[in-house]
Amino acid sequence: MASITLQNLVKKFGETVTAVAGVDLDVSDGEFMVVVGPSGCGKTTTLNMISGFEEPTSGTMLIGDRVVNHLEPGDRGLGMVFQDLALFPHMTVFENIAFGLRVDKIVDTEVKERVSKVATTMKISHLLSKKPAQCSGGEAQRVALARTIITQPQVLLMDEPLSSLDAKLRIEMRTELKRLHEELKSTFVYVTHDQAEAMTMADRIMVMDRGYVQQIDTPLGIYRKPTNQFVGTFFGQPTMNIIPGRVENGGSPKFVSEHFEMSFAADAIPGSSIGKEINLGVRSENVSIGDEGAAAEVRLIEPLGDETLVFFSCGNEEFLVAKVDAEREFSPGNQIRFGFLPGGMHFFDVESGVRLE
Amino acid sequence: MAQATIKERKSLSAWLAQEKVFRLIPFIMVEATFLLLLAIPFILTIYISLLKWRANRPFEQAYFHGLLNYVRVLTTEDFWWALGRTFYFAGTAVMLELLFGFLLAMLAYKQFRGRRIYITIFLVPMMVVPVVGGYNFSMIYIDSGPLNQILSPITEAMGVNPRIRWLSHPIAAQWAIILADVWQWTSLTFLIFLSGFAALPQQLTNAARVLGASRWQIFWKVHFPLLKPAIMIAVIIRSMEALKLFDLSVLLTFGGPGTSTETIAFFLWRQVWQFNKYSFGAAASILLLFMFGTLIFYGIYLLVRERDIVEEERME
Repeated sequence: MASITLQNLVKKFGETVTAVAGVDLDVSDGEFMVVVGPSGCGKTTTLNMISGFEEPTSGTMLIGDRVVNHLEPGDRGLGMVFQDLALFPHMTVFENIAFGLRVDKIVDTEVKERVSKVATTMKISHLLSKKPAQCSGGEAQRVALARTIITQPQVLLMDEPLSSLDAKLRIEMRTELKRLHEELKSTFVYVTHDQAEAMTMADRIMVMDRGYVQQIDTPLGIYRKPTNQFVGTFFGQPTMNIIPGRVENGGSPKFVSEHFEMSFAADAIPGSSIGKEINLGVRSENVSIGDEGAAAEVRLIEPLGDETLVFFSCGNEEFLVAKVDAEREFSPGNQIRFGFLPGGMHFFDVESGVRLE
Repeated sequence: MAQATIKERKSLSAWLAQEKVFRLIPFIMVEATFLLLLAIPFILTIYISLLKWRANRPFEQAYFHGLLNYVRVLTTEDFWWALGRTFYFAGTAVMLELLFGFLLAMLAYKQFRGRRIYITIFLVPMMVVPVVGGYNFSMIYIDSGPLNQILSPITEAMGVNPRIRWLSHPIAAQWAIILADVWQWTSLTFLIFLSGFAALPQQLTNAARVLGASRWQIFWKVHFPLLKPAIMIAVIIRSMEALKLFDLSVLLTFGGPGTSTETIAFFLWRQVWQFNKYSFGAAASILLLFMFGTLIFYGIYLLVRERDIVEEERME
């Protein structure tokens, strides 16, 4: 089994394009690490450097305690599942799964034995004589996984493997992948742009943007304490409300935005934000609608079944959103009052976006 | 009776009034062109092949000869020699073209500085008019030509007269033609294989690399099987063309020395235009049409089958 260590890993394409600008990461043995970010954030490049398809411009990569910078992909003891699965179209499912054993010239009887064992685990025994093109999306996914795990790699890399599946199957496969991780106990590095996938599967998440690491933390840590506005708005559905304004201290601290004012208890507001222009970030579940607080008008309703999203505004076209119990009924045009739960407010610096503590 | 005619006329006008008639109009043109350009000469050729007619006699004196011309063609030894030689030329040339085209494409499919220029240069021979290409080669091979100039240090060291007359030796002349054909048409196989290589998905190579395959294994287990359709296309297209080899024979050797570079196309031409054996030539060309036709259909069958397998896999 193996841990992965990245030390100040940099990748530049030519002189001008910096895809990855210094990543430091420790993935411990058996951890499920998800690397997440919008497209172009450098997450796939980072993965390609770990796998060996891209050579880092500078920095060190270790798998276990071995520096792998100059090792061929096949010598790094890792397995990889690709975005488009990359099954060999001219081979049967059996030969696809057996490929890693065939190139090692393992004897036929052992190949058969190991393929059928893996096929049973992945529930694809009935597909072995078919070609990949004859498999459905979910089946092909399992074949790709089987091909990867048959060589018992210590590290499994996955590059958005679920992106080609439909929504329902994608959610099923998430559970399946987590189960697989429990069984194999190998180290997983999983790249995705889908924050929900990251939240549900990861032990820890690394958030990247424009080549820089934004935050490395557990899913709940990232959700509850985003280090900056980018991370805050990237995670969570619906997107966190961001309200530009200023924190004033006239006796008790007060948040003043263009359209409303709100006062808080002194301990609800970080001292460093007082007197500053800030962006206030509040998740929809931390917005309360009741008898107290600032006045607003309901504009849109989105029922989710168990809960309802209420979009409202304070006399402007910027909508704020609150998540309320489905029992409570609202309709567009209702006059309401809203407030923010003390623990659910994030104060971000206007310039840098950094969270103020 | 009269009623039937009216009915027929009615149905004809009704048929003409239909919209689908307009869809047929282009076909009428195509069919007319086909009849004019292909069917009439074809039928005439068959007709002539059944006559006893030489061009030095008036056509009125020609008389019906049955299948005797065909028998005569099939019993002419030179016909079979020319045919065999054609297959030998085509087979050797196409094999070499495939090999060189494949190797060049392998070198050129990855990105590197000057790749475009490299590719353009390798495509030039294909665009040269065959007659010009043939003429150039005849200049290269003549006894005071550049080939002998280049070889002169070696030939002189060996004590051989450097003015070697390549095209006067049967085997050297055959290879001279094969090499000229290879020079001209390697471009085409290069182009076909280049697009074949370009269509190989990079992810498959990466997948094989992660699974520990060596370059050699990746080539034989992944790339080569995926290039099979491109190889088939190159073989079929080139073979069809190479079997018609004519211009190089004419320009370089005029079939000689003796008949050692006489291809089947050249043989036909000589029978008809030099010996005026019109009926004989007609019969021979009909026979060749059936022989090559069978080959071509078999080739197309293989090609379609290959494509169907690929498509079938994609469909499911």
